[in-house]
Amino acid sequence: MAERVFAAKLQGAGFADVWVGGHRPSGIDEASHYPLFTEEVIELMRKTLPTDRHDHVATGVIVKARKPADASELGR
Amino acid sequence: MAKDLMFQDEIKEAVRDAYAGISAGAGETVARWLYSDEELAEVPPGAVAWALGVGNPVRYAMLQPGEVVLDVGSGGGIDSILAARRVGPKGSVIGLDLLEEMCERGRTHAKEAGVDGWTEFRRGEMEDVPFPDGSVDVVISNGVMNLSARKSRALAEIFRVLRPGGRISLADLTVEGELPPEIANDQSAWAG
Repeated sequence: MAERVFAAKLQGAGFADVWVGGHRPSGIDEASHYPLFTEEVIELMRKTLPTDRHDHVATGVIVKARKPADASELGR
Repeated sequence: MAKDLMFQDEIKEAVRDAYAGISAGAGETVARWLYSDEELAEVPPGAVAWALGVGNPVRYAMLQPGEVVLDVGSGGGIDSILAARRVGPKGSVIGLDLLEEMCERGRTHAKEAGVDGWTEFRRGEMEDVPFPDGSVDVVISNGVMNLSARKSRALAEIFRVLRPGGRISLADLTVEGELPPEIANDQSAWAG
C-alpha cells in the first residue's frame, strides 16, 4: 500500500490530523530476517528487482491520527 | 462479488497459515533496529525474540498513565508490554491477535514482565474488533494493517472502538511504485 493510499484510507474512515513520519527504508536483507518471508521469495526479490532497489523495497512508516472529538469537527 | 470474497478469504487464510507456521520471530537483530536498549530492557527476552514488527508505534503514541490501549495484531506482546509500562496499573492494554497461540505467547511474556495485572490478550480479527464503540483511548499496531485484505474495514473498526478524541499510532510498510507480479502475488510476500 502506498503512503498516500494509507493516508487517504484513514481520512476516508473519518480520522483527522493524519501524520506520516519516521520513514525508514526496508530492503531485501532486512526482509530475510523475518521468518514469514520464505527463502524462495527472498531469492525471487533478488532476481526480479533492480539492484538499486535491493536496499529499499519498502518504507517503514509511523502513521498517527486522531478521532474527532465531536461531530462538529467532522468535515472540517 | 463472490470471486472478490474468495480472494479475501484466501489472503486471510494465507496470513493465518504463515503466522501459525513459524516457530520464532524476527529476533533480537531486528528488534535492535526498531527499539532502543532502554526499551528492550523493559521486555522479557521471549518477547524480543518474537518481535515481528516493522517500527516502534509506542514511541510515537505519547501514552499517558491510566489510558486504555488496544494493540491490534499483538503477536508475542512486545508493544503491548511497552504500552503497559507507560499506562501503568491504572490503565489497561488489550492485545488482539488472529491466533490463539500468539495470544498465549503474549500472556506468558506479560506475566514475565509483571504487567499481566493490566494487560490481556484476546483472539480476534481486526476487521471485526470484539469491543464496544468508544471503549479505547489509543490504538497501536505494528506491521499489521498491510496484512488485511479489507484495510478500509479494519480502519473503520479501529475508528469505531476509539473514544472521541482518541488516537492511533500505527507502524507499517508502504510501497511506492509497482512490485513485480510474481512477488506481489506471492503468499509469503503478502504475509511478510
